[in-house]
Amino acid sequence: MFNSAVNMTINSAYHHTSQQLHEELVIIEAAKLNPERFDVLYNKYYKQIFNFVYQRLDCKDTAFDLTGQVFLKAMLHLQTYEFKGVPFASWLYRIAQNELLQLFRHVKNKRAINADIGDLRFICEETEEPFFEEYLPAIKKLITLLNDEDLQMVELRFFEKRPFKEIAELLDITESNAKVKMHRVVEKLRIEIKKLKL
Amino acid sequence: MQPKFNINRPPISDDEINKYKNFEQLVKQFKQQSIQKAKHDKSWWKSKKVRYSAVIAGITVICTISYFALFNKSNTTKTNEKIITQNKETKGPEEIKGTEKTKFINAPSTKITIPYTIYKINNTKGGEIIHPTSSKIKIPKNSFIDKNGKDIVGDVTIEYREFHDIGDVIVSGIPMLYDSANTKHNFETAGMFDIKGSQNGEPVFIKKDKNLEVELASHTNETKFNQYYLDTVKKNWQYIKKDEVHFNKLSVNDDVRQSEQNQKLSNESPKLSLLKNQIEVIIPKKIDSVKIVYTKKVETLPKAKEPFKPNKPSGRQTFQIDADKKEYPELAAFDNILFEIGLENKNYTKEMSDITWNDVQISEGPQKGKNYLLTLTYRKRSEKLIVYPLLSGKDLEKAQQNYQQKFKEYESLAEKHKADEVKLMDELKAKQIAYLTDIKNKQAEYDKEIKKIEIQMQQQQQNQLATQYNAMSNSTKAMRTFQISNFGIFNSDCPHAQPLGKTINPIFLANNVVFLPDIIYVVEHNSKVVFTLSYADNYQFNYNPTNQYSIVIFRNNKLFICDKNAFNTTASNNSNKFNVTELQNGVDNLIDFKKALEI
Repeated sequence: MFNSAVNMTINSAYHHTSQQLHEELVIIEAAKLNPERFDVLYNKYYKQIFNFVYQRLDCKDTAFDLTGQVFLKAMLHLQTYEFKGVPFASWLYRIAQNELLQLFRHVKNKRAINADIGDLRFICEETEEPFFEEYLPAIKKLITLLNDEDLQMVELRFFEKRPFKEIAELLDITESNAKVKMHRVVEKLRIEIKKLKL
Repeated sequence: MQPKFNINRPPISDDEINKYKNFEQLVKQFKQQSIQKAKHDKSWWKSKKVRYSAVIAGITVICTISYFALFNKSNTTKTNEKIITQNKETKGPEEIKGTEKTKFINAPSTKITIPYTIYKINNTKGGEIIHPTSSKIKIPKNSFIDKNGKDIVGDVTIEYREFHDIGDVIVSGIPMLYDSANTKHNFETAGMFDIKGSQNGEPVFIKKDKNLEVELASHTNETKFNQYYLDTVKKNWQYIKKDEVHFNKLSVNDDVRQSEQNQKLSNESPKLSLLKNQIEVIIPKKIDSVKIVYTKKVETLPKAKEPFKPNKPSGRQTFQIDADKKEYPELAAFDNILFEIGLENKNYTKEMSDITWNDVQISEGPQKGKNYLLTLTYRKRSEKLIVYPLLSGKDLEKAQQNYQQKFKEYESLAEKHKADEVKLMDELKAKQIAYLTDIKNKQAEYDKEIKKIEIQMQQQQQNQLATQYNAMSNSTKAMRTFQISNFGIFNSDCPHAQPLGKTINPIFLANNVVFLPDIIYVVEHNSKVVFTLSYADNYQFNYNPTNQYSIVIFRNNKLFICDKNAFNTTASNNSNKFNVTELQNGVDNLIDFKKALEI
């Protein structure tokens, strides 16, 4: 259902082959011994994490600060990192997610939603409803009214265009669970968008 | 509060993102926070294990102090005596054993070890111990005292072991790092030994004015080495003096053995064996066979047969056969032939001429064509006579003429036979001479080849000796003499500076999985030096790309090796990921370990 509307291929920035996973593990183990060897991971994932953070913030400087915090936390807790067969990025995303939540708890107005018009059109297509420009303010409002969990699903799926496998790994849930959750969010939106036409 | 919704916000460029990247700053922050975290971290105290351990340790310390305070007062003087008696810069073995040794000397494997050889020596008599490696320990009489400074009475147990190469050094766990004026060096050993003395489990000490002399059988005769003693308290090697080297002469094989070896080699040489076969088998066989061939040829030459001379009547008794030709047709041929009775017939009597014999048979006589055997039968009587046919008159003349002619033919034929025979015999002789010459030539060639091989053998032996001498690993090249005034670990060493070249922060992978080793040794094969990598330095080490290296890793009593080739491959690829292989079937002996290490 979702794949037909939003044709998302594997995200090469995130996805790793088993060899890449292994090589990454070597680097992680080396970084555990010598923090200065964390630079490889830092350089590899800085942009990804920054984009993830900035996607949820309005302020660029805050996004850079928070990205730095994410990597510092990662370095401080690297000894506890356990390889689970997924890219190291998923661990960094989770740290970033926690950091963002912490920030939003303290400073609520920092939360922002960033999307392209095209992304909103995707949402309408997914709900099998036609998209009209005049619906834009209403759709934006619908999205802002979503709870944190649903909003996260929308952001990951429609705004960041991540495949379900990746979403599942980032949220530490199964792929089918991610699909079910997404389906529920889309149903909610479909009902609300239908109401807009009436 | 509802979040702000941005539509089509311009993205941040990669350059701008990269501008904010500052890894150095991040590391600084990490270090600061780590220190702070460590300062404030009291979580370890929450652990029950730590608490109980601390309590037990406290109680143990209090008990120990109390015990020594109460019961050991009387021994104070004696302990002082011991110190005075020993009065050596280095500490006694008891102290080493009890305190620092276990930490400082850390054998990486419990499986692969170099055991001590135990000797007993009577202290009052002294003596000389000859170790299986040819090393000698000369012990003067009354050399040992106990911890109270009293002379030992009876036998002293001497425990002794040696270390000769990098394999021995690794399994010993003896640190080979030498700190000289704050400059770190690693030792290349020409031989190291560990010697201990005890009586009934109690350590003994060497008397102040006595020295044990250890002649260490070294595998190298190089003179660049110095003598050192391992001070396990100061945790460093102490320089003693420049090494004393006594060279050993290599025994050269005696003539008999050499000749045996030459013989063995000559037997193995294909050319020689071919020549030998020609000389001893093939040509003699040819000589024999040519003799047989020519003998047969001579035998088959047409032989001249001397004709019989026609017999004339000699006056002896003669007779004619008068037989009915119808009844005895076979006797018709002898009609009118006169026979003379041979002198050889002893059975002949005159009355035999008067008897009319029933039956007469004539057959060839003993001399074919010259005489006949006449068998006469009358009833049961039978007589045999050798008779000679006689010719007379015209018959005789004719026969004589015939005889003359045949005799001439016979003579010419006999002459030809003789000439042919001589010719064949000359041919045979020539062939035999040719064969003998061939044998002589081949013998000369054989002798020449033998000489050549002997020269080769001598050269080979010399080369072999030189190779053996150079590659000698288990035999003695030189003796290094140590005068030791206390037990412990002594070494004949040459310090090497840390290699210059590339610096590497290695990562170790076993079966493509990253793992953290317990102990890591890097072996530089060219200089025969072992470097121990330190966790504190993140196992960082330098290596010279032109040299050959191996890595030995111990983890959980398992042994992993990155051999020369694997090291070379990784280094030449500018990689830091060293694939190490666990030695199969749990290598538990030094020989297999050294084999795996290619030493």
